[in-house]
Amino acid sequence: MPGSAESQVAYFPYEDNTQTAREIEGYSRTLTRTPLKALVKRPLTLSELTGPTGLEGKLKIGNNDLSRAVPGGPPALGQRIQICGRVLDEEGAPVCGAVVEMWQANAAGKYIHEYDKTDSPVDPNFIGTGRMLSDEEGRFEFLSIKPGAYPVPESDWWWRPPHVHFSIFGPSWMSRLVTQMFFPGDPLNESDLLLTSVKDEEARQRLIAQLLPTKVGANNILQFRHDLVLRGKRITPSLD
Amino acid sequence: MSKKSTPPTANFTVGPFFPAYFVEAGCNDLTRAGTNTAKGQRVLLCGRVTDSDNEPASNVILEIWQADANGIFRHPSDPRLPEADPGFFGWGRTLTDQQGWYRFVTVMPGAQGGGNGAPRLPHINVMLLGSGIMRRLVTAVFFGDEAETLRDPVLRCVTDVTARCRLFAVRDPGLDCESAQAFRFDIVLRGQRETPFFLD
Repeated sequence: MPGSAESQVAYFPYEDNTQTAREIEGYSRTLTRTPLKALVKRPLTLSELTGPTGLEGKLKIGNNDLSRAVPGGPPALGQRIQICGRVLDEEGAPVCGAVVEMWQANAAGKYIHEYDKTDSPVDPNFIGTGRMLSDEEGRFEFLSIKPGAYPVPESDWWWRPPHVHFSIFGPSWMSRLVTQMFFPGDPLNESDLLLTSVKDEEARQRLIAQLLPTKVGANNILQFRHDLVLRGKRITPSLD
Repeated sequence: MSKKSTPPTANFTVGPFFPAYFVEAGCNDLTRAGTNTAKGQRVLLCGRVTDSDNEPASNVILEIWQADANGIFRHPSDPRLPEADPGFFGWGRTLTDQQGWYRFVTVMPGAQGGGNGAPRLPHINVMLLGSGIMRRLVTAVFFGDEAETLRDPVLRCVTDVTARCRLFAVRDPGLDCESAQAFRFDIVLRGQRETPFFLD
């Protein structure tokens, strides 16, 4: 059969307890933008089992240093950090050539975005977006500054903990991932409506980056490790 | 002994601050790949995204994925990849404006059929990300003859006939521009006239 030479990848439905809740009390937009009807089950055909390739021909790729607005320019304010990790499938195999997009607030919790109406200071040396390809071992790394927390305007108490957004293009339409990464030990993690909506303890802990052993040297950077697991399992034919 | 597998990382909303920088100029024009131009009938796919209160859903990111004019996906899993149109990537991204409008310029996708693959009507996969959308919403827009609905294994899963009709693009010659045939596909995120979305 054509196409059967390489290993087949299977996509199973998400286990809901390892994912964020779709509707969240206190986050009103989830109650106006989440479908009421049950999502329709469908078979997967070539259309869903394929996905964009060669996006580097369409998108600007290669900026993974967010610590300055321009190469060689003045540094952004804040604690300098490095985030490194791997893009993996559900069985721990590296996903190479994945487009990894990341974006975040500045050290004061302010985004460069027209919809960020808070009066927190803008840092002219911080833009807060990066995009790169994972290497042959699935690795990616970004140099940045630690984002600040920020208040959610529609709420009278909710502050988002410091977090970094990731958007990843895996090998197919089914393996697209959009997620957020949190920092270990932040007290705001405990009250965040999004993070705490992930009910499975292990799945929730995997959303929090790991601080690597600290070093003091020429470049003083706190290093964090964070792996991203895309959907997809390689299946071996059963012997029944 | 089988190795323990790890469930996928939890999906989150993109929030309200998805960088404009990531919606590059030309991202919503699929008819160009590098210096090549896509073959086939040019199509303007546009519509409005609304929420449960019938309010425009602004700042929603849409991404699409489709086959080229001959029904070939630019992906190694498609056995017809060597014949794929070099002028067509098949992927695009845009975001809705204040009134909830989006638009893509693309080509009419070909059907799939025969051989070993499942027969599919011409269609474009659509996904939505946005503030309040905790996990991406996935749907598809179909072109062509509604009478052939039951040939498509995905479309026929939408058993509610009224809802299924909402997945067909509506030809709107009044919006034609630059030799592109316009098709309208409105998306209702929630409510009585909700668009069918697929289990992801």
